[in-house]
Amino acid sequence: MKYLDEYRDGRVAAKILSEIGRVTTRPWTLMEVCGGQTHSIVKHGVDRMLPSQIELVHGPGCPVCVTPLEQIDKAHAIARRPAVLFTSFGDMLRVPGSHTDLLRLKSEGADVRIVYAPLDAVRLAQEYPDREVVFFAIGFETTAPANALAVTRAKELGVRNFSMLVSQVLVPPAIPPSCSPPVIGYRASSVRGTSVR
Amino acid sequence: MCLAIPGKVVEVFQDRGLRMARVDFGGTVKKACLEQLPAAGLGDYVLVHVGFALSVVDPAEAERTYRFLEELGQLDEIRMPEGPA
Repeated sequence: MKYLDEYRDGRVAAKILSEIGRVTTRPWTLMEVCGGQTHSIVKHGVDRMLPSQIELVHGPGCPVCVTPLEQIDKAHAIARRPAVLFTSFGDMLRVPGSHTDLLRLKSEGADVRIVYAPLDAVRLAQEYPDREVVFFAIGFETTAPANALAVTRAKELGVRNFSMLVSQVLVPPAIPPSCSPPVIGYRASSVRGTSVR
Repeated sequence: MCLAIPGKVVEVFQDRGLRMARVDFGGTVKKACLEQLPAAGLGDYVLVHVGFALSVVDPAEAERTYRFLEELGQLDEIRMPEGPA
């Protein structure tokens, strides 16, 4: 599978731009929901190529940014417990809750560790059987299978000291029905089995 | 955690019933789970997200994507050390 050339074909881009210009009959304000999109749009000048009636607003970004404050506060309360070894994707460490963030809690002595994969948290639970290893399971639908497999894996291995604080969110319900079919990025499509072409 | 990163499968092994791989991301080798991508094997380039291989990808495109992510400074998290298998 290729996945760069399809998006870097100048002829296709020109055709899409011309079509966007044709159907833009009134002002539109569009919000991106991913920092990667914002970066690409600005880097490649997409914002300057679009008709002037289209305004782009840089949206909340990754799932880290749309995790509810209540969940973040819960994570902090759990991470503070002495018996807990709290694990999280690195992106979450600086995200502020009502009072603090995970990085600060770590500097104050809480055992907070960065993992790249949920399975790493299961492995930590095996290494530290006397601790409760909690994984902060945040993410869009793309991370749900990985998180679910970590739970299945912990059960298979008989790991009893592993748990998750779950804050999974779905993208399609946040997209208005008028945008059907939903615009879903490449990675999401890989996980969901949706074709992007 | 937002981005999936392409890398080359340099070793395939079983870890207590899970089909796993060591994947080389431009010199950093990390473990990834192949359970969701049974077709992937030694030498394949795979797209890895939060420790799971999602798709087999074209080697040349994988290389270009990797360089692109490097330019964006998006590869820090895969460079973090990980524990033993």
